[in-house]
Amino acid sequence: MTASAPEGTFTNPAVAAEMLPDFRAVALVPVVQAYAPYAVVAAVLGWLAPLGAALLAWSAAAAGLLPAALGVLAPFVLGGLLLIAAINGVFAALDARRRAWALREHDLIYRSGVLWRRSVIVPFARIQHVETVSGPLERRFGLTRLKCYTAGGAGGDLTVAGLDRETARRVRQFLLERIRDGDDDRPAAVSSSHGAQRGDEG
Amino acid sequence: MGRSAVTRADPGAGAWQRLSPVALVFLIVRALQKFIRENLVVFLGAGASVAFVERLGMRELLLGASALFLIIVVTTAIYHRRFRFRVEEDAVRVRRGVLEHKELRIRFSRVQNVQLGEPVYFRPFGLVQFSLETPGAAEREVELPGIPRRLAEEIRDRIVGARAAVGADNEVADELAADEAGRMEQGADAVTPVLLHAPGVGRLFVHGLSSNQVWVVAGVVVYALDLVFRQTADSLAMTQLVAWLETQFSAGWSAVLPLLAGVLAALLAAGGAAALLRFHPYRLHDYGQRLVGSGGVLERREQTLRRDKLTGVVLQQSPVGRLLGCWVLAGLQTRSDGRGNEVSQRSFLVPGLRAADRLLVGRLYPGAVVPAAFEPIHIRYRSWWLGRGFLVVAGVLGALLVTLGREHAAILPLTVLLVLLPPLVWLRWRQWGWWLDRTVIWVRRGLFGQRLEAFELARVQQVQLRSSPYLRRHGLVTLVLVLPQGLVQLPFMAEERAAALANQALFAAETALRHRV
Repeated sequence: MTASAPEGTFTNPAVAAEMLPDFRAVALVPVVQAYAPYAVVAAVLGWLAPLGAALLAWSAAAAGLLPAALGVLAPFVLGGLLLIAAINGVFAALDARRRAWALREHDLIYRSGVLWRRSVIVPFARIQHVETVSGPLERRFGLTRLKCYTAGGAGGDLTVAGLDRETARRVRQFLLERIRDGDDDRPAAVSSSHGAQRGDEG
Repeated sequence: MGRSAVTRADPGAGAWQRLSPVALVFLIVRALQKFIRENLVVFLGAGASVAFVERLGMRELLLGASALFLIIVVTTAIYHRRFRFRVEEDAVRVRRGVLEHKELRIRFSRVQNVQLGEPVYFRPFGLVQFSLETPGAAEREVELPGIPRRLAEEIRDRIVGARAAVGADNEVADELAADEAGRMEQGADAVTPVLLHAPGVGRLFVHGLSSNQVWVVAGVVVYALDLVFRQTADSLAMTQLVAWLETQFSAGWSAVLPLLAGVLAALLAAGGAAALLRFHPYRLHDYGQRLVGSGGVLERREQTLRRDKLTGVVLQQSPVGRLLGCWVLAGLQTRSDGRGNEVSQRSFLVPGLRAADRLLVGRLYPGAVVPAAFEPIHIRYRSWWLGRGFLVVAGVLGALLVTLGREHAAILPLTVLLVLLPPLVWLRWRQWGWWLDRTVIWVRRGLFGQRLEAFELARVQQVQLRSSPYLRRHGLVTLVLVLPQGLVQLPFMAEERAAALANQALFAAETALRHRV
């Protein structure tokens, strides 16, 4: 995009719709390979606790500590839970293959979802602040999430999952620089509390 | 409580001030209102109050209520005693809290609207309730109940004309903001106000008739009556009333219809009167950089909206409003909970508009003209909802018929719903529409009523394209535009159209001067 307005002289000539840059024409970068195993593990891990409980109930019933009827039910429950966990894992793997992102000169694009798909485009000029987050499991896989906040409440933030640590750091730095550049144009229209948050990240 | 605290001669060093003693009354009234509103619903909802009153005697109940009342009064008194505020050069600072102490500092340049309220009992003392909102807050961020009117007006004027009082940095910011709004007035006070809208008593009454609140109130009244009825079912007066009603009903429709009509008329009249009380004599003034709406019989209210902080407008019509040709206009602003595009009692409302008054949109939001036609969404919207709707309703109906037989109470309404589904879906589809008028986009939706939302494409914060397997199969997507006030959705858009609109929105947002909220 070359249409960025020079400082102070804002013009806004009419542009034919078909002349505009198309976000669909951008080649998206798939998320890192490590994201797929991480997503599968994370999806299955959530089912470990109920699986463990079912196993425990089964062995307790076998040992005569619980009514025998539970012992009869337990294998079915266990099987059902295993099936759900497996389906979740498969979906997570498929989802990981769909996830992709790209940076353009003026915005960030992120695509996700298997059945219900979503492409989100966030102009840099609208990002309020950026942060990187990684949980213990993500750190094991060397992954980091990048969160971009815009105005508009709960719908106003974009989480880019599946970046490696170094890429996430670089993208965050890049975005922060872009935001700062924007602030030079128009300083300090931010409340003190937001200012403090931004300061922490800068 | 001197004015000297905010004069320029003493910049940034205003003394900490307290609220007026009369403010305590206001705070207690509001605390009680809040308590009742929040807890009554819980009590009523659970039906607990019935069980409660039966188990406990009236005396215990009264004792409990007075204890509660005392607790509320004491906490409010502590809050009132500890409350301090200070007006600085470019900000207002507030210290408050009972258990948790909170100190806020709100920069004037961040404020997007200011409200002055004057309840009846404040009038003899020359006091007002001052409140302001910033983009970061979901609720009113600062409230100063019970400060002298002159002080409140001075703070208000400093906020809307912030440029004059603040340092160089903010001057740049505010000038840019003014550029964006296409306004370059020098200082807010120099502008003579232009009267934009002054609905008469009749229009305000009609506004009350068409507001949905009547039906909410009616629902609450019916519920409360039901509870009272259960409590007093065996008292003499109630037995007589029931006997009288029974004779009326046994007389057939000729007696019941006037009764129903009377109740309906009373409800509508109450709604109209409530709107009159709230708004009369309503005046909307244009001061260039700010818009001011004022009115109210018992509580005089004045809402001041900074024009450069206006992120969109809504024109809305309830089903009754559509019959009566009555519109309401609301100004939208940034909200951190993303629900800023819901029109509520708190919004900047312009009541009592006729169809012709819709031109006002252009005065409120320069460049906005109500479009004559809208581009519809894809016709698959109808088949999708019809298909899914039929499946669900017919499924439930079938299951009921098989398991419970024909006598079940839900059979009739479900059958009616099944028959009415096609026209309902058609109406809903027909209301959906959008129109791009150079830089301003309009989105219309509704069923019996309608709602038109307009905003500048450049205000878009984020563009999303969502699709389900069904939508993809037919080359459709749902376009979601994230705005400072919340989400705006356009479902069942042809993918090419949606992508073109998305590209346009991104172009507008990326080439506009940067305006953060």
